[in-house]
Amino acid sequence: MSNKIVPTIYRTVIDEVIAAIKPEFDEYGVAEDVLAELQSKWESRVIASHVAEFETPAAAPPPPTQPVQSHQIAQTQQALHQAVQSHAYAQPVLQMPPMPHGTYAGLHNPYAAPGVGVKAEPLESRHLLSGSISPSTPQYTLPPLNPALAGRHLAAGGVLPPGYAAAAYQPMQPVAQARPPAQTQQTAGQSSSRIPQVDGPSYYDGSDDDEDDRAPGGSNGAQYPPRTSHPSVAAPQASGASTAGNGGGDEAINSDLDDSEEDLDEDVDQGTAGETDIVFCTYDKVARVKNKWKCVLKDGMVHVNGRDYLFAKCTGEFEW
Amino acid sequence: MASAYYEFYRGSSIGMALTDSLDELITSGAITPQLAMKVLQQFDKSLADTMVKQVKSKAILKGHLHTYRLCDDVWTFIVKTPVFKMESSENVGAQKIKIIACKSGDAIDGGKK
Repeated sequence: MSNKIVPTIYRTVIDEVIAAIKPEFDEYGVAEDVLAELQSKWESRVIASHVAEFETPAAAPPPPTQPVQSHQIAQTQQALHQAVQSHAYAQPVLQMPPMPHGTYAGLHNPYAAPGVGVKAEPLESRHLLSGSISPSTPQYTLPPLNPALAGRHLAAGGVLPPGYAAAAYQPMQPVAQARPPAQTQQTAGQSSSRIPQVDGPSYYDGSDDDEDDRAPGGSNGAQYPPRTSHPSVAAPQASGASTAGNGGGDEAINSDLDDSEEDLDEDVDQGTAGETDIVFCTYDKVARVKNKWKCVLKDGMVHVNGRDYLFAKCTGEFEW
Repeated sequence: MASAYYEFYRGSSIGMALTDSLDELITSGAITPQLAMKVLQQFDKSLADTMVKQVKSKAILKGHLHTYRLCDDVWTFIVKTPVFKMESSENVGAQKIKIIACKSGDAIDGGKK
């Protein structure tokens, strides 16, 4: 077990990850300086953790091999798209209202149609964020839905040629895709809060029962914020606090929270609250004779007393 | 491919440093969560490979086994008053340590992978 090799190993890992992930960044159209930013953030955090003596603070990044030119054009294009996206993010609501109303949309079509091609992308990538569609082929997933949507709006009184309508409504399609079919139908009638609803159902997908509990509570149950952070955790706590406090009577409001509380309890029991000394490793063999335990551990990352140690192999001998 | 590597090393110092950095970049909108996942998968791989290739040191750990648990092929030990005896004859002790051990790669190779 050694603390001395930690800087070397971490250096190697960081360099390797950054070098190996570079093509992915290219593929996703993320600029190289973001990768550099990731590296510097990562390094400075590792250094700041003081888990070992890092001599070279933020050592020179590995000279990234520069076959960049082949990707250059694609990158610029992607960067443009991104710029557009970031603008579009700010005002998603503005795009949405026209869609539900056929006539309204008809009025705006001359403007909407050219812009839509661009604006459609941000929406798609929004939903890409939740992992539904492969990023490289967002456009190609759209056409199958066109007829249905166009038809719906035509039936609603629109006089638009189908193709025209389809183009105008493109932004909706990723929305519909990202949503479970049942939800699509339910929410189709509610015109006002498109964006929040989209995020709502994606919550339900992986949801626990507690979220189901909240949904019927208000007709706007779909207006939960996107899953950016845990603000949603605060809401159930606030509402639950008045009734049940910490009581286990209700089903767990958030199982993750509960787990962490248990862990804390465990720590408190043993008198060492706060940061746990921990070992991540693999085991080859674990054996017990009466109360004597022997185990062979491998590839361990040990964090003890604020320092990191690594071992290739460690024999553990414990008595229970 | 990437799924063949354990993700639990992400809980280590270097892993947490990476995760936090990725979180920041996601929050600022610089990268997508998918790309972050790719980075983490690459981390799983790079870390495991680097450990196997470059870490050779050994140790002996003794202590009082407070809790043991085997669930889904993951051993968890909580050892009180652990002492690591390193090859450098240096000892490292602590009040309590938690050991999370997944089945070793050899075992996986022969088994479910």
